[in-house]
Amino acid sequence: MSFHIEAITVLLNGLQQGAIYILLAVGLSIILGTLKFVNFAHGALYLIGTYAGLLLALEINLTSGLLQEWGFSELGLGLGYIPALLIVPFVVFVVGLAMERFVVEPFKDRPDTDQILVTFGLAIIVQELFRAFFGSSSLPFSQPAWAQGPPQVPFLAAIPISSWRYYVIGITAVLVLIVYLLVEFTDFGLIVRAGTRDPEMVELLGIRLSRPYIVVFGIGAALAGVAGVVGGPLNPVNPTIGNEILVPAFLTVVIGGVGSIAGAVLGGVLFGLTQAILVATYSAWAQVGLYAIAALVLLVRPQGLLGEAEVAP
Amino acid sequence: MSDEPAPASEPETEAGALTDAIGVWAPRGNEVRVVAGTAVVLALFPFVFSRMPVVSDLLQGYQSLATLILIWGIFALGFDLLLGYTGLLSFGHAAFWGGAAYAAGVFSQQVSGSPVLMVAAGTAFAVLLAWVLGFLSLRRGGIYFAILTLAFAQMMFYMSSSPLAFITGGENGFTGVETGELLGTFALEAELPSVVGLLLGTWLYLFVGIITLLCVALAYRILHSPYGMVFRAIRENEQRAEFVGLNVWRYRLMSFILSGLFAGIAGSLFTIHGSYVPLSSLYWTESGEIVIMTVLGGTGSLFGPMVGAGVYLYVENIVSGGHPVDFIAPFWHLILGLVFVVVIWIFPRGIWGFVRDVRDFVTGGED
Repeated sequence: MSFHIEAITVLLNGLQQGAIYILLAVGLSIILGTLKFVNFAHGALYLIGTYAGLLLALEINLTSGLLQEWGFSELGLGLGYIPALLIVPFVVFVVGLAMERFVVEPFKDRPDTDQILVTFGLAIIVQELFRAFFGSSSLPFSQPAWAQGPPQVPFLAAIPISSWRYYVIGITAVLVLIVYLLVEFTDFGLIVRAGTRDPEMVELLGIRLSRPYIVVFGIGAALAGVAGVVGGPLNPVNPTIGNEILVPAFLTVVIGGVGSIAGAVLGGVLFGLTQAILVATYSAWAQVGLYAIAALVLLVRPQGLLGEAEVAP
Repeated sequence: MSDEPAPASEPETEAGALTDAIGVWAPRGNEVRVVAGTAVVLALFPFVFSRMPVVSDLLQGYQSLATLILIWGIFALGFDLLLGYTGLLSFGHAAFWGGAAYAAGVFSQQVSGSPVLMVAAGTAFAVLLAWVLGFLSLRRGGIYFAILTLAFAQMMFYMSSSPLAFITGGENGFTGVETGELLGTFALEAELPSVVGLLLGTWLYLFVGIITLLCVALAYRILHSPYGMVFRAIRENEQRAEFVGLNVWRYRLMSFILSGLFAGIAGSLFTIHGSYVPLSSLYWTESGEIVIMTVLGGTGSLFGPMVGAGVYLYVENIVSGGHPVDFIAPFWHLILGLVFVVVIWIFPRGIWGFVRDVRDFVTGGED
């Protein structure tokens, strides 16, 4: 393989990994920026998205877990990947609404630490529920047959990357653009942004913020759900994936700057590329490098690369 | 024991200074009561837990778990110093626990297997690390502090998983622990002579128990000194503390270092107890566990976190094995998660606070 192709492969892999981080980080970031709520259960939403996507898209055989013991060993609707991609966001959106109503609302006026703790506990509960019902072994979530090889397009055909990864990058780009337009150019976005600046003033103007806020949380959750569906087929699927993705997702938000969508994108790309390049060169240092960069950015620019200093508590 | 060298290490001071120094360490207030009470509980605990006729059959406890509970209890005690008293939530305490565990292990292999020196080496490492990481993480408060500590601890985890694998053993963990005999004469796993043996069991328990007692005394002294008051003042209202002229940042750093000290002592003891350091001792879920234990037991109290550690380990080791009911065994983690959320939601003061509330209700008033 020539050096060029190798370099492009690494870059694309990095972008694809970054895309997953971006989907998670944009959701986390708008929730943190508007509701001022720290959601340690965001990884759990990713987990729900992955399992929901798997069950909608494929038919699977369970080998352990309660469902298997109860005789439901053959699960899944086998609808295919496109329906899964369309349905899962709505499912996780509803989960997000419920979470906002029953968890975020009661904890809004309590300290940051309580918010972190309760969502951390919630994440454990979700993870253990999935472990109990579906077993702890990895489930087969393969990439769709039509997206396994390199795309049959001139030039790209020579790069040994499955087309699924291009779809991941494309879907992320479209969704993030939609969220960006929604926040920047609609009345809804205007109210949300005004609420971020001065919630009391917005309420005095006769606008109830609770409804836009619950929608913001729902959107953030739905993005995590999409991340679960597109990211699921790229890694082994088991109940701990939510826990594993949470830390890099949070770091993406923090180095990008809380509340900034562009920051989340920048952070995600930076993280994805760093990881891919280090894996290809000094693989032992890949993870360390990631955290070193995060630490460095935070030390030099604590508000994040594109964050405003005043946003931070 | 560890306190005595402090006055002695200042040679040629005048007699007055020496009595002053001793005076500083003289017990005051409730301290004698608390330390003596702790000593009695520590002395009875392994017997009741693992050898008493009817009770321990019901509990299904065993000696090694009793020791482990004390070790995690020290860790939780130190963690609460930070979370419960200073109000800082660290998600990176695995760095000090695991770091000290590795340091003690490597020290035993390369330098000396003396348990006392191993604890000293591990603790020293943890304190230095806490100093550095605290210095870096404390530039930000709230969630940023939690995430920064998390990031640094994860960095340690990945460091020992591959780039430093030639020292730490990578994925396999550190297997070369060579613990020697206590003070050169007593094998740690040997039973103590006569009645003491029946009561306490092994030399290891005695060793861990004495250190636990010292840790409780130290924590009590810190928290009931003016210095500890400042920690609480910072938690209550940071700005006010700043306005009365306190250097909030410095006190926070000291609180972080102190809790790193306790985590270091506990981590070193963990190596001595298990003769093995698993890589997972640095993983961030380990930090999560200490958070759960502390909150479960009750933040902001001296003994709450230790009770929390005991309950957590009991559930992890005994209930998960199908005792008393088989049905619960696979769901122990789930149940702990549920209890944890309920505690944060409804009983923010944890088990210890709940017990105190019940006691106050029964006796009809505060204290």
